[in-house]
Amino acid sequence: MATYNTLTPELIEQLKAAAPGHVLVGADINDDYSHDEMPIYGTKAPDVVLQAANAEEISAFMKICNANKIPVTTRGAGTGLVGGCVPVYGGVVIETTKMNKILEYDLENFSVTIEPGVLLQDLAEDCLKRGMMYPPDPGEKLATVGGNVSTNAGGMRAVKYGTTRDYVLAMKVVLPNGDITSFGAKVSKTSSGYSLSNLIIGSEGTLGIIVELTLKLIPAPKKTISLIVPYEDLESAISTVPKFKMANLDPQALEFMEREIILSSERYLGREVFPKKLNGQDVGAYLLITFDGQDEDELMARAETAAELLLDAGAIDVMVVDEPQKLRDTWATRSSFLEAIEAETKLLDECDVVVPIKEIARFLTFAKKTGEECGLIIKSFGHAGDGNLHIYQCSNDLEKEEFVKRVDNYFEILYKEAVECGGLVSGEHGIGRGKVKYLTESLGDVNMELMRGIKNVFDPNLILNPGKVCYQS
Amino acid sequence: MEILIFVKQVPDDGIEVHLDPAAGTPDTAKIDKIANAFDTYALELAARYVEANGGNVTVAAIGPDGTDSMLKNLIAVGAKKAYLFKDPSFEQGDEASTANRLAQLVKKCEAENGAPYDLILCGKESTDEISGQVGARLAEELSLPFVSSVIEITPDGDKLIAKQETDEGYIKFETAMPAVYTIAKPGYDPRYPNIKAKMAARKAVIPTFSAADAGVSEAPCYVECVSYTEPPKREAGLKIQEKEVADTVAKAMEILIKDKVL
Repeated sequence: MATYNTLTPELIEQLKAAAPGHVLVGADINDDYSHDEMPIYGTKAPDVVLQAANAEEISAFMKICNANKIPVTTRGAGTGLVGGCVPVYGGVVIETTKMNKILEYDLENFSVTIEPGVLLQDLAEDCLKRGMMYPPDPGEKLATVGGNVSTNAGGMRAVKYGTTRDYVLAMKVVLPNGDITSFGAKVSKTSSGYSLSNLIIGSEGTLGIIVELTLKLIPAPKKTISLIVPYEDLESAISTVPKFKMANLDPQALEFMEREIILSSERYLGREVFPKKLNGQDVGAYLLITFDGQDEDELMARAETAAELLLDAGAIDVMVVDEPQKLRDTWATRSSFLEAIEAETKLLDECDVVVPIKEIARFLTFAKKTGEECGLIIKSFGHAGDGNLHIYQCSNDLEKEEFVKRVDNYFEILYKEAVECGGLVSGEHGIGRGKVKYLTESLGDVNMELMRGIKNVFDPNLILNPGKVCYQS
Repeated sequence: MEILIFVKQVPDDGIEVHLDPAAGTPDTAKIDKIANAFDTYALELAARYVEANGGNVTVAAIGPDGTDSMLKNLIAVGAKKAYLFKDPSFEQGDEASTANRLAQLVKKCEAENGAPYDLILCGKESTDEISGQVGARLAEELSLPFVSSVIEITPDGDKLIAKQETDEGYIKFETAMPAVYTIAKPGYDPRYPNIKAKMAARKAVIPTFSAADAGVSEAPCYVECVSYTEPPKREAGLKIQEKEVADTVAKAMEILIKDKVL
């Protein structure tokens, strides 16, 4: 374990001088800097915040902090779900949200270069205005793209287009010693040594601080169609997925959700979108599927083939969503699940496990049954197309201490089961502070030591985001 | 009961519209065209009515190429028949001329339908022009009873009870048939089509008529749009964020009182 120094008044003055007007200290530091979206993993306020304006300020900060062994934690919009941006050892938080410029489009090379604090929503909209699409589509649209890269965020379109990792061509990074370097290039393939950019992607701010990103874009599909597919229960819905995948229909998104979470989301948004009873049958679960393409007739033909398959496999009906407002309403309902759960729940935690597709149905049944046995309310949804499940543990009645105890017990059982069936601890939210224990148990000592070795090469003083991912406390 | 609904195709109202700097008119070329939201509420209300009480729903639209796709979408969610009226002479006009043309088109629709309509519905306004005049003017042209902003219709012998939404609550009107109503947002949303209805609707052939086919004579126009102006851009707001919520509220109150808002 590393030892850190505290910030002296002299050091704070040095930091202020390194970024005049952009440094917050003491009472000026808002409570928001002490947590992300999952405060259950603990909160901690930093001693100093840098609202960074450019790479040079960050570099100057890192030189001072590295020389004095001051812990530094990078923060985007604070929308993470594993406590990744919480400065658990205090020290400095470097916030990137002011570095929010889209710097340059290079449409001949299908790329855009941005600062890390650009919000996902703003990038997506700006690309669409140019007829291009940035395919990664995590549910939290107000996250920064830098944060998405740091966790290798996935999202709804990952089943067709892959995750954030697949769209990072190059990046500029400030290393813990303050050096500024670049990884990757605006090319479509490389065999040029170790992929250092791929080490940074998903490293959750533990290896370096991203200060610029060049991202791959694709021509925007001209048309999208979604299908709402109601089922009697979740097991019937999920058991359709392998057959659906085998039919090679190339869905852009393939999501599952239970009735309860739809009801929560519709209450939250004040709008009823999904059918609850059809053909005399109560709906217990849904698949939500999207196809995209350039030609409406071709898309409808795919939707029709999909519908035949889904109805044969036990769907109650298949509803078509192809009008702009209905598409917005449908996907707003899907995108508001977390906010809806938060609005109705006093205490919550989440498991973002990813399992092989054929294991989804069995694993979800296991998760629900185990939740009941552990005395927890379980709400689940996720990406049926890639096996990434979001299983929420909720309580409005328990004391926090009891809730945490029950969730710990639940996670021990659940992550063990996930690993035994070939899964991994996190599909897209990362490890942060909350899942270090389960990552260690699932990967084993050899792999954790390899990770720590890499960490040591980048950050020998272990000042960058301590307490996260593979940190040994 | 035979119900006719006039539907307008409008630019997707979820997209912000700006003026084309060269032409000085709204630039909607790249915006998806959809059925006016209030017209879709009218269709859902009518579809629910005939499902409960029997009858048929016809939708009709004046519009350019592409309007037939919108009408097919409406067949998938409750309309039994659809007619499209397409003619260069229909592209110009004001609310008076539109209502006059629609009044003339009712006869053509009835001839094609093989039965007269007991009720004619329009959305209470369109989401692009938002004048809210056409339904009332249509009733005047046809000399029929008219109720605006209706959200519920119930049968009462050979009459209809129309529940009108007002700022204060509701007013119930009884009218003879035929009648013209404009429809506001009921307490439900238009349905989603299922795949079977959608695919069947895509194969539908929409009868299309020119002004001459429909026997529409020139319609008088009284108002000419002189120019469009974009609203001024809103200035950036003031961000108030104190450590405690109560302090934030207090500071906001202080500013509102100082600026005499409160």
